[in-house]
Amino acid sequence: MPQAEATLATDDGPTPDHVLTVEGVAVRFGGVAALSDANLSVRAGTVTGLIGPNGAGKTTLFNVISGLQTPDRGTVLLYDTDITKMKPHRRARLGLARTFQRLELFGTLSAGENVQVGLESSVKWWQWRHVKRKFPWVKEGVASVGGVPLGEPTGPGSLAVVTSDRLLEGVGLGGMAADQASAMPTGLARMVELARALAMAPKILLLDEPGSGLDDAESQALGTLLTTLAKGGMGVLLVEHDMELVMRICDFVYVLDFGDIIASGTPEEIRRDPMVQAAYLGAVSETDAHAASQKTHTAATHGTTDGTTGTTPGTDDGEATQA
Amino acid sequence: MSNFLQFTVFGIMLGAGYAIAATGLVVTYTTSGVFNFAQGAVGMIAAFGYWELVSAHHQPTLVALLLVLILGASIAGAFVERVLMRRLHGASAERPVMVTLGLMVILTGLATVVWSPTVQRTVNPQINGQFRLVGINIQYQYVLIIGVAIAVAAGLRLLFYSTRTGYALRAVVDDPELLGMAGVSPNRMSQYGWILGFFMAALSGVMLAPTQTTGISIESMTLLVVSGYAAAIVGRLKHIPLTFAAAIAIGLAENYILNYIEPHLSSSLQRDVDVSLPMIFLFIALVTLPSVRLRAVGRLTSMRAPRVASGKESLIGGAAFLVVAVVVSVAFANTNIKGTTLLTLGGMVMCLAIVGLSLVLVTGYSGQVSLCQFSFMGIGAFVMGKVAGGGSLAGLLAATAVCAGIGALVALPTIRLSDLYLALATFAFADAVAQGFFADGSVYGSGGLQIARITLPGLSFGGDTAEFLLVTVFFVVSAWLVLAIRRSLFGRRLVAVNDSPAAYATVGLNIGFTKVAVFAIAAGMAGLAGGLYGTVQQIVGTTDFDIFPGIIFVLFVTIWGIRTVSGAFLAALTYVALNQIWPSSIGIFAGLGVILIGRAANGILGIEAIHVRLPWVKDGGATTGEAPTRTFGSLALGGEGSRAAS
Repeated sequence: MPQAEATLATDDGPTPDHVLTVEGVAVRFGGVAALSDANLSVRAGTVTGLIGPNGAGKTTLFNVISGLQTPDRGTVLLYDTDITKMKPHRRARLGLARTFQRLELFGTLSAGENVQVGLESSVKWWQWRHVKRKFPWVKEGVASVGGVPLGEPTGPGSLAVVTSDRLLEGVGLGGMAADQASAMPTGLARMVELARALAMAPKILLLDEPGSGLDDAESQALGTLLTTLAKGGMGVLLVEHDMELVMRICDFVYVLDFGDIIASGTPEEIRRDPMVQAAYLGAVSETDAHAASQKTHTAATHGTTDGTTGTTPGTDDGEATQA
Repeated sequence: MSNFLQFTVFGIMLGAGYAIAATGLVVTYTTSGVFNFAQGAVGMIAAFGYWELVSAHHQPTLVALLLVLILGASIAGAFVERVLMRRLHGASAERPVMVTLGLMVILTGLATVVWSPTVQRTVNPQINGQFRLVGINIQYQYVLIIGVAIAVAAGLRLLFYSTRTGYALRAVVDDPELLGMAGVSPNRMSQYGWILGFFMAALSGVMLAPTQTTGISIESMTLLVVSGYAAAIVGRLKHIPLTFAAAIAIGLAENYILNYIEPHLSSSLQRDVDVSLPMIFLFIALVTLPSVRLRAVGRLTSMRAPRVASGKESLIGGAAFLVVAVVVSVAFANTNIKGTTLLTLGGMVMCLAIVGLSLVLVTGYSGQVSLCQFSFMGIGAFVMGKVAGGGSLAGLLAATAVCAGIGALVALPTIRLSDLYLALATFAFADAVAQGFFADGSVYGSGGLQIARITLPGLSFGGDTAEFLLVTVFFVVSAWLVLAIRRSLFGRRLVAVNDSPAAYATVGLNIGFTKVAVFAIAAGMAGLAGGLYGTVQQIVGTTDFDIFPGIIFVLFVTIWGIRTVSGAFLAALTYVALNQIWPSSIGIFAGLGVILIGRAANGILGIEAIHVRLPWVKDGGATTGEAPTRTFGSLALGGEGSRAAS
């Protein structure tokens, strides 16, 4: 079957451009400096990691980038556009999508409807009508969303339904489109959130601990997916406590501690950085160290040979972390 | 100059009274996370109780104060927390609002039974006499109110920020589980909070009662707290000193306007300004309030949404409903109940059911609590009868359009803020419209406003049967439209914006536009219902669209199910029936009903345990049928496992 080019996507392909730039961002909550002088950038076509201990300011930085938190100073650029004072929905329309550390799904809606809301936000309703009426063949021809190839259409339904079904299938939730989102286990619900974000055909994707709640095999698959997304031209900024995942898939890593970027570089450089080791390992309890050792062992049995430390500190909100 | 000083002193006293009321609202909200709409009603009960003890039973002032403030308020506060509020923990956001509204209508209903509204009751000042200072007379009662307000503000500030109990009281809203882990009982702290809130409400009632020179009335004392809303909003429902300062400023502004500007206005305008000032201050406060930051909710809505009928089911259901309506119209064409034809009552049911549908849209789907749908209904009736002359479809169109426009204006100032502020704005709007617009003799006229029945070319709906069938058609079409909206892209957005505003914004959707749009649509629907209601009744009066009937109706829709078309219809049926049978107790029924329904988000129709089954109501939930086998384990997208997974 001839595959038409994606009508919903912005398939610019990998470019060396900085899709996201954060400059000198500071946020204070009363007397507490959540972010002091945060600087980072994400290139299109790469996966960039953002790691740091609990309370380092990672989620606050995500909130600043996505517009849920106004910074006291600093700027956020999406390509060359200053989005620092832009409302969240306007940033999203420019191509910025995110997931949340604690799930933010539309719980009353089904998994499929969650994804459809993401799709509909990136395509005006009159465009849907236009596409459906004038080009019915497009239903079979939507090849990719945001550079991510979709599987074959599996059944009847509107363009939105078919596309959302295929996106869900793509993240491993085939046949679960009708499930109420709030009734899904955390790991699956995170994938619904990811599919919803992908439905927006984003240029930059912010993922806040997407690996939380996934087992090792699922985590491996997530890594593969994120790498594929980046190859399609998308910039991915990943907050994750699963060091094995971060070190395996990230092209570049920033380390945040007490609101400051204390280190940045390739995964190998970060692994050897003494400041990072102090920030992370200095705060690791015996239990965590044991869990880290287990994680490293597990990673090894799944074929990872990078020998990462594999520490798994808790989340910013004190949630239990993955095993 | 002496006049200015006199006005200033009285303004400060007025502001101090508002400060006590507003501080009470802040205390309850800070310690429970619930905005207590019954605050004014509790104050009203305290004022009447105080009057009963002092004036009717000749008890000493101090004894009466102790009994009302310490004993009565404490027991009532503890009871309300334990019996009504504790079980609402984790319920949907509008549920505590509905329960406090239920408490309000129960208290006003009971007060009406105990204290006949026809008797005038004047409460004497706690301290009689006056003294002279810099050339003006100052009553001791003024000094007492100002002193109490200052003491309360300072005391609460100290309590909340300088004591362990105060820290615990504030923490219980943020994270009760965490507080429990710190060795403090969150339930006990919540109970202390409600006791404190009830004490503050009773204090404001007892202090302000003597300032009511024409005597205390159930409605005026209950709504007196509305004047404190603006101050509480300026204080963002948490800053007591800011609330206090805002209340004093509002008291001064109000008194200066009343004494310097009002005398230059016509008498009817004077009255309108009088009753509209609290709403004007409230809207100024809403406009000037900084935007509320969107926060990630951090928990999923676990409610099972009622199943939405398909387009085909809607059509079949609507047609069946029309057939039943035709049968009813034939079978009961000549039946009268208390001088009103059954079909006229049936027409009223259909009109109110359309108002119920508007609530399904705005509250049931999008989660915004509107307490002024009856106000839009009244405005719709006014437009139908006066502006467009009545009797024409153009009048209905005008009623719909005007109300939609006004609805957008009411919602606009609150879109940057949380949904609670919209509920407050609608409460204040309903109060102002009822007292300032509907009660104005020039609006409906002394004998009520005549509204002719609709006439179309070649068709007349002059008879009760034809009129009943006409409004039934309007109801069926409205119900079909509401279901069509819910199934549409816009309907999904309404549900989504309610479930997670933060996620909604970050997928590129405009929260403000969605909320204003649905509020305007719902207001337009209520306006349409008002126009039709006028044609059914053929006359509307000043009390038809009062604030309390409006709230009672909202409660009935909540009781039956605010997310379903059936709930809207059954609520209208219940409301009209009870209004015919026990009109004076309808508020008590509504209040008790909403309290009994508790945290059941989908009302009676959604309670699975009692297996309510109506032919047109089907099982809810999105997860119907067999759950598919979950094959999660290989994220297929773009990976090698893609084909295998599919």
